[in-house]
Amino acid sequence: MENENTILGAIQIGFTLNGVEVETLVEADEMLIDVLRRDFNCLSVKAGCHEGSCGACTIIVDGKPVLSCLLRGWQIADKDVWTLEGVGSYDAPHPVQQALVDNGAVQCGFCIPGMVLSAKAVLDENPVPDDDEMRHAMDGNLCRCTGYEKIWDALTSVIDANRKGGK
Amino acid sequence: MKLSDFRRPSTLKEASSLLKELGDDGLPIAGGTALHFLTTLKDKTAVDITGLGLDGIKDNGCHFEIGSTTYVSDLMKRRDGWVLCQVAKKMSTNQIRHMATVGGNIVSVFPWADFPVALLALDGRAEIIGNSDRLVDFDDYFKAQPARLFEPGDLLKSIKVRKLIKNEGFGYHKEVRTAAGFSMVTAAARVMVTDEKIEEARVAVGACTGIPRRLTDVEDAVKGIAVDWKEINKVVIDATKNRKWKLIEAQGVEYTAHLVQTVITDAIFNGCQNLNKEA
Repeated sequence: MENENTILGAIQIGFTLNGVEVETLVEADEMLIDVLRRDFNCLSVKAGCHEGSCGACTIIVDGKPVLSCLLRGWQIADKDVWTLEGVGSYDAPHPVQQALVDNGAVQCGFCIPGMVLSAKAVLDENPVPDDDEMRHAMDGNLCRCTGYEKIWDALTSVIDANRKGGK
Repeated sequence: MKLSDFRRPSTLKEASSLLKELGDDGLPIAGGTALHFLTTLKDKTAVDITGLGLDGIKDNGCHFEIGSTTYVSDLMKRRDGWVLCQVAKKMSTNQIRHMATVGGNIVSVFPWADFPVALLALDGRAEIIGNSDRLVDFDDYFKAQPARLFEPGDLLKSIKVRKLIKNEGFGYHKEVRTAAGFSMVTAAARVMVTDEKIEEARVAVGACTGIPRRLTDVEDAVKGIAVDWKEINKVVIDATKNRKWKLIEAQGVEYTAHLVQTVITDAIFNGCQNLNKEA
């Protein structure tokens, strides 16, 4: 029952990060947000509150939106993890990213990685959620700048496009 | 509290033995969202209990059996006779619903927890395994902190919740400032309605009490009264007028009592409005 992969008190774990299999050493008490930022340069994962209230640290694990500030690093061993670094690109942004830009929904930008990942998680499961479902899915992401209207306009534009595209 | 080590057992038996071996130093963890609120200063060894087959929802005919490591997000889907979707949808934020487990919400009960209140009203039993396998009625389970029922080596395996029968309804209501905020009041009610009158009720309240409580005085008082919000509210106010509630932050005694009584009324009335019409 001892950890087979313990090295100097740290445990070796493997997982898939943005489509790539990776490994790292984590201590039992290390938070996932710190592992992602320090070991994998995933600086999109923001530490807004460190207590699970703001959603800025949202990532996707096995298709589900979760808060990396409340997870220990070892909790994602063998799982499929996505951060904003793996979503879209400068030349080919994800529809949610493009919609946020098109609608002027980004001010300071701090909340945006979490917003994109929460939206992506729900839209991957259901491309045409109704308003209640979408609002419910975004209830864990706070924004101090925009007042949410333009973010909402961006998200509904993506849903409308999905609906028109027959999804 | 700091986690000094973690273990990942591959079977329930191994997990139980490990927890027994570790004693007070061991801490079973599934979602782990409550770790943030644990105030013990002692270092713990985390024992990962996910992947041991403790998740899933089974329909056993007259009751549902819900595995302790079932994610709250999985409880949001509606099924026949299933009402815990009401509670799951109102719990915290979308991310937390995908991380937290029903077992985690009821093994260490925080005042703001959703499921203890709902389960007290719905009635059912908690299945504990390990040193001895046993079923504990929710009335006993939530009498005090449930942790007192667990020895090192014990785990919560599942909860068994009775399905609603015909003319029974369930209502769950909570008052909270933001989705991620702590509940100020939570209330749940299972009611049986016949001819537009409340025949029977189980009512529970939390957040405004130290630990979730059944309100047997309210249960007795609402028997026989018409399904009418004002009538129910009048009875609730009268039945609870001498109760002392934990004060809501920055609010006084009168406002707290008014809010609690309103939320209790809402839960009972919502239950009456959402009756199971099928046998």
